[in-house]
Amino acid sequence: MSFESYDWSDIVPIEQDDGPEPLAQIAYDPEYSKAMGYFRAVAQKNEHSERALTLTEKIIEHNPAHYTIWHYRQQILLSLGKDLYEELDFIQKQVEQNPKNYQLWHHRQVIVENLKDCSLELSFTEEVLNDDSKNYHAWTYRTFNLWDNELSFVEKLIEKDIRNNSAWNQRYFAIFYNPTKPSEEFLKTEVEYGISKIKLAPNNISPWNYVKGVIAKSSMEITVLEELCKTYSQSDPISPHALGCLVDIYEDHVKRGLTDKKELGIKLQDISLNAFTDLL
Amino acid sequence: MFSWIKEYSMFSWNKKDSSSSANTQAEELKTFDRDKTIGYFKRCLEFLPKQYEGNDTHRMTLAFYSLAGLDLLGVLETEYTQERINNWIDWIYAQQILPDENNPELNERICGFRGSPFSGLPYNPSGCRESRLPFDASNLAMTYTALASLLILGDDLSRVDKPSIVNAMRYLQKEDGSFTQTYQGMESDMRFVYCACAISYILDDFSGINVDKVVQYIKESQSYDYGIGQGPGEESHGGSTYCAIASLYLLNKLDEGLLSKDKTIFWLISRQESGFQGRANKPPDTCYSFWIGASLMILDSFEFIDYEKNYNFLMKTSTSLGGFSKCPGCYPDVMHTYMGVAGLSLMEESKKLDSTLNISLKAKENLLSKSVFKRG
Repeated sequence: MSFESYDWSDIVPIEQDDGPEPLAQIAYDPEYSKAMGYFRAVAQKNEHSERALTLTEKIIEHNPAHYTIWHYRQQILLSLGKDLYEELDFIQKQVEQNPKNYQLWHHRQVIVENLKDCSLELSFTEEVLNDDSKNYHAWTYRTFNLWDNELSFVEKLIEKDIRNNSAWNQRYFAIFYNPTKPSEEFLKTEVEYGISKIKLAPNNISPWNYVKGVIAKSSMEITVLEELCKTYSQSDPISPHALGCLVDIYEDHVKRGLTDKKELGIKLQDISLNAFTDLL
Repeated sequence: MFSWIKEYSMFSWNKKDSSSSANTQAEELKTFDRDKTIGYFKRCLEFLPKQYEGNDTHRMTLAFYSLAGLDLLGVLETEYTQERINNWIDWIYAQQILPDENNPELNERICGFRGSPFSGLPYNPSGCRESRLPFDASNLAMTYTALASLLILGDDLSRVDKPSIVNAMRYLQKEDGSFTQTYQGMESDMRFVYCACAISYILDDFSGINVDKVVQYIKESQSYDYGIGQGPGEESHGGSTYCAIASLYLLNKLDEGLLSKDKTIFWLISRQESGFQGRANKPPDTCYSFWIGASLMILDSFEFIDYEKNYNFLMKTSTSLGGFSKCPGCYPDVMHTYMGVAGLSLMEESKKLDSTLNISLKAKENLLSKSVFKRG
């Protein structure tokens, strides 16, 4: 049943009072204004009913970012004991239209928490990420629960788009935010994995940052990347990330007393001269 | 080195130069059409089309973008009468939820500003003291943009109820240090950390914030690439990086809060393609000319960017309607228009924008010299 088909004769809608000179007034759709008029009235009575539920649906159709309406809807759903799996379907349809709506993702989280069942969430976010593999909300949502097999999921996405920085970030998350601490041996294979991806596309910043991040968390030294950096700072075209990484390596050398500052200066000058002539 | 900045100033390029026929062979570059952009902001301030319905609860931010844009372009006072400005100030104050007269505890969690009068109370420019509607509540982003707009309009903030705002903020900070926007239980992230810090700075009272927890949250949100995400473990993002850096500045904790200032600067600079992208390997977007640019400004490293590329990208996102869009060929909106103008302003030789509060230096000066919360 739609909100219009319910009997509202007992309710006197309350109009919005914007005063004589409002700022940033919006040309509301009459349907939205009407629904909001009823909302103001039933919300004051805190009415939890079927008709109020359809009312929230109508308002959400016009304004899915209306956080107050979502809050009201949650209260109604819970107090009427509605089937929350049906609500998940409703959310799914909404997310298809508004994949970047903060309120929707939060609402989903609230419903799942109440259901105490997150078994559908993996496929749900996977579907969203199939449409937009960099959707920040979907990735954030996945971090709330560390899923089994997250690495293989991430790997699939990296295979699909090696420049998907969100997937690289999730790879790091899945490893280092996992309650089980990764072994040194494992981290070594991760660095190798990253390097293999650098070799496929040396100008792609994502695996460079990832490899440096993993090394920083391990007992490895950043020097392990020196040869790789040298290769790609002399290649054609040169990789600016290789040059940047060389700077990191030499700075690290100074920090550890392996080289002095003067030598660092010469090395840096070398790098920038090489880079400069190569770019000409 | 930056001699051409003057040339690219948005104030000197408002009239089209008809004598530039010597350059006909070069690609024709658009220049900033100041008058059209002023017209766009003025229209937004008065009436927005139905497409903005989805921003109904956030109208205060739309007002802020328009007012801040006109202020940066220096025309707020010349375009509008004082009477009009006073009426707008009244409208903003009408969105303030004040403590209940008889029992302040009754509504202490919802004090502050809401984004519009959607909850259904009668218009009252002295604010509302009877707000016990079950679904009425202030919102941190609205309180921040309301205070910023009041400063832009030259108000002295004398009708702002500071104690109730500071007190309500305490209920919005989470255990991990982050903030939610309203007490109605919404998502919490770096955006509202910034709002809380900016509000506290403007009110000159940080007692509503657990500062140590905020600094810890920001530290933990720094990613392995030294950009900053919306929360711990999340991907580095231009918007959240700005929110974190500006928050640390306002808290006077920049040195303590950034794990490596140099590496964060490097992450920021690396976001420039033509304009700036918000995340690695994403296309550039107008708003990051501000988010990334302002972050670099706070970290004293703005001069490392390529001004010309940034300018040219912004010109590609400016539209014939006077507004800016997110990307070339997209439809303009008021947020990206403000961000485009603010991004251009950062490149001007004579500074007009305070990068930390995201208001003009004139509005900031109003805070420091005229407002009732001015600092010693």
